Amino acid sequence: MARVLVVEDDPPTAAEITAALRDHGFETECVATGGEAVTRASAAHFSAIVLDRMLPGDLDGLEVLAALRGRGIDCPVLILSALSAVDERVRGLRAGGDDYLTKPFESLELTARIQVLLRRGATEERATRLKVGDLEVDLITRRVRRGADTIDLLPREYLLLEYLMRHAGQVITRTMLFEHVWQYRYEPRTNVIDVHMGKLRRKLDEGGRPPMIRTVRGSGYVLRAAD
Amino acid sequence: MLFLALFGCASLALFGFIYWQTSRYLTSSVDERLQRDAQGYLANPDETAARLRKHVELDPQNIHPFGLFTRDGRYIAGNLTILPRFSPPLGRPFEYRQRTGGSLRPYRAFALRMAPNELLVLSESIYETDELRELLRNAMAWGGVFLLVVGLAGAVITGLGAVRRINAVTGAIERIVTGDLSGRLPMNRRAGDLDRLSLLVNRMLDDIERLMGEVKGVTDDIAHDLRTPLTRLLASLERARRRSEATPAPAAAEYERAVEEAIRETRDVLGTFNALLRIAEVEASARRAGFARVDLGTIAADVAEFQAPVAEEKGVALEFERPRPALQAPLALFGDPSLLFEAIGNLVDNAIKFTPAGGRIVVRAFAAKGRSGVSVSDTGPGIPEPEREAVLRRFHRLEKSRHTPGSGLGLSLVAAVARLHGLDLSMESANPGCRVTLSGRTSSP
Repeated sequence: MARVLVVEDDPPTAAEITAALRDHGFETECVATGGEAVTRASAAHFSAIVLDRMLPGDLDGLEVLAALRGRGIDCPVLILSALSAVDERVRGLRAGGDDYLTKPFESLELTARIQVLLRRGATEERATRLKVGDLEVDLITRRVRRGADTIDLLPREYLLLEYLMRHAGQVITRTMLFEHVWQYRYEPRTNVIDVHMGKLRRKLDEGGRPPMIRTVRGSGYVLRAAD
Repeated sequence: MLFLALFGCASLALFGFIYWQTSRYLTSSVDERLQRDAQGYLANPDETAARLRKHVELDPQNIHPFGLFTRDGRYIAGNLTILPRFSPPLGRPFEYRQRTGGSLRPYRAFALRMAPNELLVLSESIYETDELRELLRNAMAWGGVFLLVVGLAGAVITGLGAVRRINAVTGAIERIVTGDLSGRLPMNRRAGDLDRLSLLVNRMLDDIERLMGEVKGVTDDIAHDLRTPLTRLLASLERARRRSEATPAPAAAEYERAVEEAIRETRDVLGTFNALLRIAEVEASARRAGFARVDLGTIAADVAEFQAPVAEEKGVALEFERPRPALQAPLALFGDPSLLFEAIGNLVDNAIKFTPAGGRIVVRAFAAKGRSGVSVSDTGPGIPEPEREAVLRRFHRLEKSRHTPGSGLGLSLVAAVARLHGLDLSMESANPGCRVTLSGRTSSP
């Protein structure tokens, strides 16, 4: 069971985060100050830390992060912040954060990102091919095959598929797809991502093959081996 | 009143000066004549008697009474028979009065010693000069009175006019303060100081009225745009409750659908709020800190690629053009790539929304001499000229597009992003359709 340390000083937000994580099967522990965060993280092992950027008292989020990394604690850290400026994000990631989420956020966005962070260490980064069910992607030649058939994908479609394959079985939100595949950061309100995903799906499921990409209620997708 | 006093003093000083100058001139000319005569007598002292006789013959009216007297005042010769009283020294002009022909007349005189025991007095009647002076004084007095009256009347009239104007202006301002923003300060046809001021204040009032109208419009629009989805949300939740009450065992699917719908509506409302906050954030230039060197051409290409499937689904051709050779003319810009992507994305999004199937959208990155940027043109209905300014405002939607989905905030965000980056946002007709251009001065390499 994965344990997540939530560092958040605002009780309602902390309760919201805790509830969302519990619903997705995480164990949680909640602290309200930077000092406590460092103490707890040093004392026990956590699978991931959700860290508020703005904390009251002597240590703010980035300082907590620096202290943790300084003590050799390298569990994934997701920074939460009300500051959306690009350089804030860059600063957060440079200080050792693994992901950055701007408040207000939807709970699915948070849990999906935590899942991805947890699994990141698990997927073999050096793999040259990914295989989910009968779908196979060659990371070097960028060739995609389903069963015996080769599937022609546009470059962007390939990137979408590769990202989903790397996180097969996990919920990936539209925002995550957009950030990873297009490398820009904002929340596109349009359903453009859905259209891209629709095209990818049609290509993957061509010829009446059972669908592999499922839409998750809210704003996400999961790729799984077809039953 | 102060003005009047100053005016009076000034005219008094002017009159005084004129009077003083004139009388001095008159007196000195008399003195000069006497002086000249005196020179004549002094030059030839022997001929005094003869000259005096001749003088008497030439001056029957006694305008110039000359007389020769002994030292103790006895008359010797001439037409001046009584030695006037005067105080020495000799050779200095003096004035006296003497009775001639029944009236006392003023004279100006000059006394000089001829022989050791003789005194010659040369004099001239200054009756006329005095008359002239009197006349001058009178004229000036009347002129002064006239001037004073006219001045006073003028001051009163202009003063009254000014008071009336100021009263009118005050009244207008009071009406405006109490809420009638359409009121304006009264203007005269004359271009006076007060009119210049009024003109300026009126222009300011125009601005304020427009801004107030905009704020009111935006508030109304926010209220309207948020009330509609919230009403729908409430309705669907109430329907779910009603049905669950009607059927003893509430259908899980029904509940789920209601919750689903509620989530969607709520997300839309939140989206509107987020968009508003983003515009405010961009407008406050809070994001300039995240600027980096970016290539507008690449961003535009990404947008075109990103939106292509949407256009395709709608049956609209989406093309991207960029200057060739691409590498030699990067549209370099110091900016926030995500904001620029979003702005261009909004333009393309709008273009797709308003272009009917079979239409064509061209996203073009250009780098002309001195100016570079991105333009998005479509073959949609276009934006009527008078509406072009308005579409940049928050929540503004063309009447005919009221029923297409969208918050009406897209172009406001584009405008805010353009301002943040110092880019110009322009709209023109593309015959048919609309071309929106984001462009800026080409930065030096």
